[in-house]
Amino acid sequence: MSSTEHEAFLRDLREKSLRQQEQFIGNIKQRLGRSGQGGEPPAHPFKGAPDFWQEFELKQDERVNLFMDNWKKAGGHAVQLRTMEEAKRFIVQLSKDLSAKQLLIQNQEELHAMELDRSLNGAEVSVWHQQQGLSVAAGADIGVVVVDYAAAYTGSIIVTSSPDKGRSVSLLPTVMIAIIPAERLYTRVGQVLAHFNGSIREQMPAGIHFISGPSRSADIENDLTIGVHGPGIVYALVVTNE
Amino acid sequence: MKPMKVSLFITCLSDSLYPKVGESMARLLARYGVELHFPRTQTCCGQPAFNSGYWDEAKASARTLLDALDDSDFVISPSGSCTGMIQHYYPKLFEHDPDMLQKAKRLGEKTYEFTQFLVQVLGVEDVGAVFPHKATYHPSCHGSRLLGIKSEPMRLMSNVKQMELVPLPFAEDCCGFGGTFAIKMCDISGAMVTEKVDHVLETEAEVLIGLDMGCLMNIAGNLSYRGKPVRVMHLAEVLYEGVLASERS
Amino acid sequence: MSGASHEGTSPSTVKERAEIALNNEFLRKAVKFTTERLRTGKKSASEEHGNWDLWRERGRQIRLHTIAHLDYYLSQFIENARANGVHVHFAATSEEAVELTMAIAKEAGARSVVKSKSMVSEELHINAALEKAGIESVETDLGEYIIQLAGEAPSHIIIPAIHKNRYQIAELLSKEAGKELPPDTSILAGFVRRKLREKFLEADIGMTGCNFAIAETGSIVLFENEGNARMVSTVPKTQITLMGMERIIPTWDDLEVMSTLLPRSATGQKLTVYMSGITGPRRPLDGDGPEEMHIIIVDNGRSLQLGDPEFQELLNCIRCGACLNACPVYRQIGGHAYGGTYSGPIGAVLTPSLNKNIMEWDDIANASSLCGACYEACPVKIPLHDMLVYLRNRKVKNGKRMMLESAGMKGFKLVMGNHKLYESAVKIGRAGQVLVKREGKIKAKIGPLKGWNSYRHLSALPKQSFREAWQELEKDLKQEMREMTAETKQRMEQALKTRKGGGNSHEQH
Repeated sequence: MSSTEHEAFLRDLREKSLRQQEQFIGNIKQRLGRSGQGGEPPAHPFKGAPDFWQEFELKQDERVNLFMDNWKKAGGHAVQLRTMEEAKRFIVQLSKDLSAKQLLIQNQEELHAMELDRSLNGAEVSVWHQQQGLSVAAGADIGVVVVDYAAAYTGSIIVTSSPDKGRSVSLLPTVMIAIIPAERLYTRVGQVLAHFNGSIREQMPAGIHFISGPSRSADIENDLTIGVHGPGIVYALVVTNE
Repeated sequence: MKPMKVSLFITCLSDSLYPKVGESMARLLARYGVELHFPRTQTCCGQPAFNSGYWDEAKASARTLLDALDDSDFVISPSGSCTGMIQHYYPKLFEHDPDMLQKAKRLGEKTYEFTQFLVQVLGVEDVGAVFPHKATYHPSCHGSRLLGIKSEPMRLMSNVKQMELVPLPFAEDCCGFGGTFAIKMCDISGAMVTEKVDHVLETEAEVLIGLDMGCLMNIAGNLSYRGKPVRVMHLAEVLYEGVLASERS
Repeated sequence: MSGASHEGTSPSTVKERAEIALNNEFLRKAVKFTTERLRTGKKSASEEHGNWDLWRERGRQIRLHTIAHLDYYLSQFIENARANGVHVHFAATSEEAVELTMAIAKEAGARSVVKSKSMVSEELHINAALEKAGIESVETDLGEYIIQLAGEAPSHIIIPAIHKNRYQIAELLSKEAGKELPPDTSILAGFVRRKLREKFLEADIGMTGCNFAIAETGSIVLFENEGNARMVSTVPKTQITLMGMERIIPTWDDLEVMSTLLPRSATGQKLTVYMSGITGPRRPLDGDGPEEMHIIIVDNGRSLQLGDPEFQELLNCIRCGACLNACPVYRQIGGHAYGGTYSGPIGAVLTPSLNKNIMEWDDIANASSLCGACYEACPVKIPLHDMLVYLRNRKVKNGKRMMLESAGMKGFKLVMGNHKLYESAVKIGRAGQVLVKREGKIKAKIGPLKGWNSYRHLSALPKQSFREAWQELEKDLKQEMREMTAETKQRMEQALKTRKGGGNSHEQH
């Protein structure tokens, strides 16, 4: 199918959609007993978490401990490291221990600076790029990411997509290693969400992913199974940069 | 100040099938100087019809209560379920009838389930009962969920001397009564009451205590059907029997 | 063993379907086991988090507000989603949603679709439509995959294959593998991982549901544990998201409340392993994610609840399944007995409400003892137990009365409407029971007593009712009456005073 034909198809759908929208929203208005073009945003007095919760804040060392505790309880591995150099050594050692053949890293400065390819003999290190294709990610033993944010209370890391940061890197490899610079670790999920709240829509990443441990399922007799579709082995390296 | 009128709303079930419950309540309250009245024109709260969707029929029944109890200052009932009917559903039932709605709200305000009245109003938590038995307690759904009656019976029971109260597994699960549900969906209801009784038997209690004769009738019926000699009692009966026992000794 | 059967071929009443379930000892054990675990998980998670009722109330308020202004928030969502590059479509009915999906799939020349869990898609029976057009449609949530292989519908919102054991699952998966797989959870899950990995990488279309849609940015949010929803929304070129029109929340801030309530209520987790916010298709320079994204906003009976004071709150539901796990009826009969896409207390109300189907009002709404466990479990406090009564009332008002019941209720009205008739009725009953009474019990399984007496004995009416004994009792009471202490008197007067000051002071919540 040619792209012009496809565009025509989408255009038709769009026109149909615009026609139907009027009916669809009109029906809702009518059922709610509202008339006219209610353009004014309604006052939203109960927005977000209760006030007492918004005051909840832990100190950095508490955040680190709580995060690691939660991550481990979910079935992940967590270590606290002082520098990125230590993180690098950890990744190199782990790759050797696991006899990893393929590493896939995000196109992030912190990861380039590690020069992992120089320290890893016998393992290929690929850097995420736009034309990558999914086969590299699917074939990788280890995916390495530096997180955008983390939340201690739920033990979550947050990664977002961009040309330099593939969604696949934290998803398709067997093992995921996430580096968490401690200053990006917040107490609550809400503090992370605040970054997207009211943010300019054009600047939103297409994918925002909260990850709170290894992939799991309890669908067979409620028996916990790890690593169903996403990575079953997940490492969180909290780097405190002391 | 004119003397306060305290009336008993006996409920149709306790009236016709379990008169000892009302008697125990009345005799126990007499010990605290509370003189119970029994307005005779009352019948049933109307819940069986209301829950089945027959609201006109429920209203006819509800009116007897509203009329019979309107001049009382306090109304006490041995059932959380029937009290809940008055407090939560009469306003719904009469939402389009301002006069009756007013009356319904008035009745709701002054109606107390038996343990609520003892603990919250009279401030009585220890009636001085002795009841040397192993017992377990089933918290009825409407009393505990709709009215929030949770601590009152526990306080009263914990002060009964020589009674060993063992926790009932899955206590908060419904016994399967649900009024007409037990007839309409008899097999589901049967499975529920069978499981409830399994749990009662697990405790090895001699006595099962509750606050609602509907649930207790259901559970007692299954116990009897299975030939199990567990005694089923309303808490009012336990307390009164215990008071008598204590006075005798 | 066939377990529960296809929706199309199942018996027509809840009573009949329940009977099948009640005679399936395995099914009942499996359902009890898993719902108990989920219930315990929820209890400890909500207690650990603390202030649970405050959070529930906040969740309820956000949902109430959003639904009350659904026209505004849905319009805002649509506008923002379009600006993100999403193709937004509307389906008033399930048929329209299927048509749209099929048109998009055909246009894409799709040979295969991978799906993540979506209750809306179950409403549409979309898999059947795709298969009919020769397009393979694969459920990728482990539980959904299992029941797809078994040709069944989900019997639980969160744990679709709750009614199957590992032996049954091993048998199903062995057929797929072409070799005998042992009934070992990790081996079975490992097989599914490998098998579905291939399916993900080949698929032309990824289809998802939508847990929440954020009006402010036009984003959709997906909660899951396996990673399959991420796969579905990362790998295929085209993504189709089916979204119930009521899934909206205003802002990302509100997501903090929903993400607090949903996972804890569903599985007792602090957060699901994955919570993904997806805002449009991949950006021009992104290396992965769908190139084209469609969102189909589905009504399919939802708008019928809008403006209906008794049922509008139904749209607040966040599909956590907590009411199923708490329900003592679901515990006995499992999900298939409800006969619709949604089961348990929420299904008993939602199915007739969405379908506007009077026959179902006759039926499913009766499968509840009205114990209120669902309301207590609900993270947004939907009064499901009340709604069941409203459904029954509408059935009666619409003239859908069952003859016998209706006659009985007429009798009820007559007898309970007048205490003299009531008193005579008790006397007549006492006279009548002589024929069937044995040792103070009625055991005969006859007439209307058959159902009751198949599991119980009925207490016989005693010699005297309370009111018949009252005169004597009143005399006794006069003798026994003690003086009221000053303290008691004061307490009673105080209670009277506070009450007149307003409100139902002795009610605890």
